[in-house]
Amino acid sequence: MQSNAQLEYDYSIVKAFTFTTILFGIIGMLVGVILAFQLAFPELSNLAGEYGTFGRLRPLHTNGVAFGFTLSGIFATWYYVGQRVLKMSLNESKFLMTVAKLHFALYFITILLAVVTLILGITTSKEYAELEWPLDLLVVVWWVLWGVAMFGMIGMRRERTIYVSIWYFMSSFLAVAMLYLFNNMEVPTALVSGYGSVMHSVSMYAGTNDALVQWWYGHNAVAFVFTTPIIGMIYYFLPKESGQNVFSYKLSVLAFWGLMFVYLWAGGHHLIYSTVPDWMQTMGSVMSVVLILPSWGSAINMLLTMKGEWQQLQTSPLIKFMILASTFYMLSTIEGPIQAIKSVNAIAHFTDWIPGHVHDGVLGWVGFMTMAALFHMAPRIFKREIYSKSLMETQFWIQTVAIVLYFTSMWIAGITQGMMWRAYDEYGSLLYSFIDTVTVLQPYYTIRAVGGLLYLVGFFMFAYNIYKTATSGRVLDKEPVNASPMAS
Amino acid sequence: MKSMVIGGIILIVALMAGTYFVAGDAFQSDDYINSLTMLGALAIIVITVFTVLKYVNQIKNDTASGELADENWDGIGEYTNPIPSGWGLIFIGSIIWMLWYFFVGYPTNQFSQIGQYNEEVLENNAKFKAAWENPTDETLVAMGESVFLVQCAPCHGVDAEGIAGKAQDLTHRMSKEQVLDVIKNGSQGLGYPMGAMPPMMAQGADAEAIATYVAGGLKGEAPASFAACSSCHGADGKGMNGMAPNLVDYDNTLMSKVLENGKKSSIGEMPSFKGRLNETQEKALTSFLNSIKAGE
Amino acid sequence: MFHWLEQKPFFFAVVLFLTIAFAGIIEVIPDFAKQSQPTVGTKPYTTLELAGRHVYIKDSCNACHSQLIRPFKSETDRYGMYSLSGEYAYDRPFLWGSKRTGPDLMRVGNYRTTDWHENHMMNPASVVPGTVMPAYPHMFTNIADIETAYAEAYTVKAVFGVPYDAEGMPKLGTLEEAQADAMAQAKLIAADMKNQSVKDAVANGQVPEIVALIAYLNSLK
Ligand code: HEC
Ligand code: HEC
Ligand code: HEC
Ligand code: HEM
Ligand code: HEM
Ligand SMILES: [Ca+2]
Ligand SMILES: [Ca+2]
Ligand SMILES: [Cu+2]
Repeated sequence: MQSNAQLEYDYSIVKAFTFTTILFGIIGMLVGVILAFQLAFPELSNLAGEYGTFGRLRPLHTNGVAFGFTLSGIFATWYYVGQRVLKMSLNESKFLMTVAKLHFALYFITILLAVVTLILGITTSKEYAELEWPLDLLVVVWWVLWGVAMFGMIGMRRERTIYVSIWYFMSSFLAVAMLYLFNNMEVPTALVSGYGSVMHSVSMYAGTNDALVQWWYGHNAVAFVFTTPIIGMIYYFLPKESGQNVFSYKLSVLAFWGLMFVYLWAGGHHLIYSTVPDWMQTMGSVMSVVLILPSWGSAINMLLTMKGEWQQLQTSPLIKFMILASTFYMLSTIEGPIQAIKSVNAIAHFTDWIPGHVHDGVLGWVGFMTMAALFHMAPRIFKREIYSKSLMETQFWIQTVAIVLYFTSMWIAGITQGMMWRAYDEYGSLLYSFIDTVTVLQPYYTIRAVGGLLYLVGFFMFAYNIYKTATSGRVLDKEPVNASPMAS
Repeated sequence: MKSMVIGGIILIVALMAGTYFVAGDAFQSDDYINSLTMLGALAIIVITVFTVLKYVNQIKNDTASGELADENWDGIGEYTNPIPSGWGLIFIGSIIWMLWYFFVGYPTNQFSQIGQYNEEVLENNAKFKAAWENPTDETLVAMGESVFLVQCAPCHGVDAEGIAGKAQDLTHRMSKEQVLDVIKNGSQGLGYPMGAMPPMMAQGADAEAIATYVAGGLKGEAPASFAACSSCHGADGKGMNGMAPNLVDYDNTLMSKVLENGKKSSIGEMPSFKGRLNETQEKALTSFLNSIKAGE
Repeated sequence: MFHWLEQKPFFFAVVLFLTIAFAGIIEVIPDFAKQSQPTVGTKPYTTLELAGRHVYIKDSCNACHSQLIRPFKSETDRYGMYSLSGEYAYDRPFLWGSKRTGPDLMRVGNYRTTDWHENHMMNPASVVPGTVMPAYPHMFTNIADIETAYAEAYTVKAVFGVPYDAEGMPKLGTLEEAQADAMAQAKLIAADMKNQSVKDAVANGQVPEIVALIAYLNSLK
């Protein structure tokens, strides 16, 4: 192909993953809303027999949103951003096209199987690694396929230097591969003994060792699923949508390598005051605090990229989503480190303040950024104008209110609960029975549930807007360079 | 911009006030962990709001400038601007803090969380020593109630009535059915000097009469058949100074034996609380139970 | 500028991987060298207790309950002695949890009893008004999977040298022996229970999930 000929990018895989982002987003968040209402109104936990209890549904929510919604979004944006910043098209290589299709198919099957097995109660119980061994094997297969596609595409690139977004996607691929393998080391019991369920396995590690590997994994699963690929997204979509140049290459480099170096050390903050050695816990605390800077580095770089562009922020809901995403990223990456300080963790750990912190990040950062990316891609992959700008604007405000409700209620609930657990009366006896610390949360659980419901409503608006864009948006005769065209 | 600053301040104040308002009952300022947590919470929101506002201000009022690097990806260019100096300085500051925390705050070779725990226990015990040393009756009842609500209420209910027969109704000493049950099956395990109580101490109408008398709080004339019991429990049923259980009241002996050994009967099983409560707290529980006796 | 590394993406990937893997090597591997040793008196779970543990995992009780008592007076007063590493030596996987929607259960065997669990699991709100814990009536009819529990015990004994059948440790033996032992332990628990269908099932040689679960909860000390 001539290097100056217009490349025709192939978006079939992007479209497939866009579809699953929305599908699994709806499933995962719907289950999240159900969970939230179950804590506010516990009778709801017993409406569907054993399959509807809080415990059964919680892993379905976390897996649904992390490995269904977020990963789909990551793959969709990878196949989009990758082709464009590497300046190559998937349809230039039959091999890579096949790999990508297989990647999608196996991924889709795995997530469906995950839904079924988790509802049936087939789980290993390790957070974010609940899937049993046969599914783990499937995961490994398509993860490798993604790697083949990634490095294959990089190998075919026309752009000599690889762009920041690619660094971040690459780090996700490498880190998750390493972490997932180690944390899911398990021995299928039926294979060894010849008895019992084929699906069952037992962890290679026991007790404190198991905990250590789990949170080395768990923390970095957060890092390399909810953080680095999303940074990869914002580094592409914000400059692209706004037509601005990235504020500082030096800051990009320093923030990237700083993040890579420091992140892996911080897992110890999930094990503070546990039975792992003191020095490892301290290491987790200090590295968490240092982590603020590389995290904020990227966010600041993005905010400064918008220098002088107040106008865009006011007029484009798409820019609003991305700027607020950076803001929530900053909020959760200073909240986390402060919760990682020993004395603060003594209160925060085990309370609702942690889910509060989690959702600042996942709703405000991951959710907003993923939806913004899909909005930006929609006119380009469907070659149509975005169906409705006002719907988008409404969605933005509804979901912003939703996040504020979620985070303020869980912040208050968590701190209240943490302090109640520690409170003594004047005679030196514990002041509150456990149930007192549960019933006091009812109003906050209700507020959170309402917030969650609003977020879900916003997500349905998003899904509808994308659906209408794909089916009845005004057809575009040429691809927009920057600002995505939207009908009012 | 001004309105955003005001908005930010309102958010900060509302959040902190809300937290303090709700957690206020549990907030104990002499617990440094509480204070540090509140401080941390404040830091999170203040730092985030003001940093973001600083950059929003730049979005509003500055203009993009700088030298562009050669590369260009899908239309995206990069400036070669230097890193913001504040960011760089704080980065270095955080590394210095890290070294401090690791080597001075929680020194690797000295800090131990178990040591910290031991100190906490000593401090706590010293603080409440006065309350435990010579408690008045009122103190005992109040202390007993608070222990009861945390440790016992999950089984006996907050009203101590035993949650519809799921555990002993502690507002009464014994019900008639329970006494009949003991007369028929005997009782064992509490570790009284008299040892176990044998089964079948009385039968038929005798047993009925005894049970009515005991469940009624041993008031009025004792039925003749109660003689079978008084050899161990005493003519007044008070257990002969701790040789056998007091059938009239909950007393300190019974309390400490039940807490030490647990108890199992037709109602169900009560676990042992061995080593979980101190002596004053055990006494306090007795006082509390006597203070809530029903019908008197 | 320093674009040179970014122009060699495969070398870039290698450097990146080493940077990422570095922390793991220093922080995680050393702890593996010294496997956590069981504290004196810590024993592997019996087959019935393991079956109960599987019920606990199946219903993700760990979503709401921790099993880790931190060294604070407020926790030791509420839950008992703080946790020691060696106490978890036979926990595969560990079940520390990360959220206390409900109380810690590390030592619940010390302060709750069979009949209490029976009432509570059937309908938590009938025992603790205002609780958010779901009811688990299905556990009174679902039958526990003793065979898979045996398979796990067999596996950890064969692969990791967990000392089943050693002196003073739980017996494992063949599947039939293990099933018989589990039945015997189940009978003792059912005797302290009131639910008639559970008693009947046990009398007929079946172990409802609730019986296995209670065996597990009672073993948490
Ligand atoms: C797990 C449940 C449970 C807990 C916790 C519990 N109890 Fe009980 N308790 C019972 C049951 C069941 C009985 C009836 C057993 C019997 O009479 O043999 C009982 C009986 C008693 C009795 C009567 C014993 C007798 O001899 O008649 C006393 C006194 C008592 N409990 C006090 C307490 C106190 C004080 C606490 C807390 C420190 C407490 N219990 C905690 C379940 C419990
Ligand atoms: C041989 C001595 C002896 C005789 C005779 C005796 N008891 Fe007892 N009784 C005991 C002892 C010892 C206990 C405590 C046993 C234990 O649970 O460890 C006890 C326990 C009891 C209890 C249970 C108290 C509680 O707090 O749960 C009741 C009720 C009781 N006796 C009633 C009677 C009655 C009624 C009679 C006569 C019909 C009687 N006892 C005769 C020795 C005796
Ligand atoms: C939605 C959250 C939730 C789930 C899921 C849950 N629990 Fe609970 N659990 C609670 C709460 C809240 C309490 C405290 C109030 C009470 O006792 O009901 C509790 C209390 C308990 C207690 C009593 C402990 C004590 O110290 O009083 C036990 C035992 C228990 N749960 C076991 C289980 C088991 C076993 C499962 C899974 C099959 C489970 N729970 C699932 C929320 C939950
Ligand atoms: C500088 C960055 C961050 C640090 C240092 C950090 C720190 C922490 C800490 C201390 C906890 C609580 C551990 C506990 O006590 O249970 C936590 C939990 C969590 N955080 Fe963060 N956080 C950071 C950023 C983020 C971001 C950006 C996200 C998501 C987008 C996120 C998602 C989570 C999740 C999902 C958990 C829950 C883990 C669990 O299941 O227990 N974190 N984090
Ligand atoms: C519709 C909005 C959502 C609602 C109402 C919601 C609700 C919930 C609830 C109730 C929990 C359990 C908290 C607990 O155990 O106390 C939870 C956990 C969690 N959710 Fe969500 N959620 C939503 C969206 C999301 C999204 C979009 C993501 C990720 C992209 C996400 C990621 C998580 C994670 C990682 C946890 C586990 C947190 C932990 O273990 O600490 N949620 N969510
Ligand atoms: Ca797994
Ligand atoms: Ca968690
Ligand atoms: Cu973490």
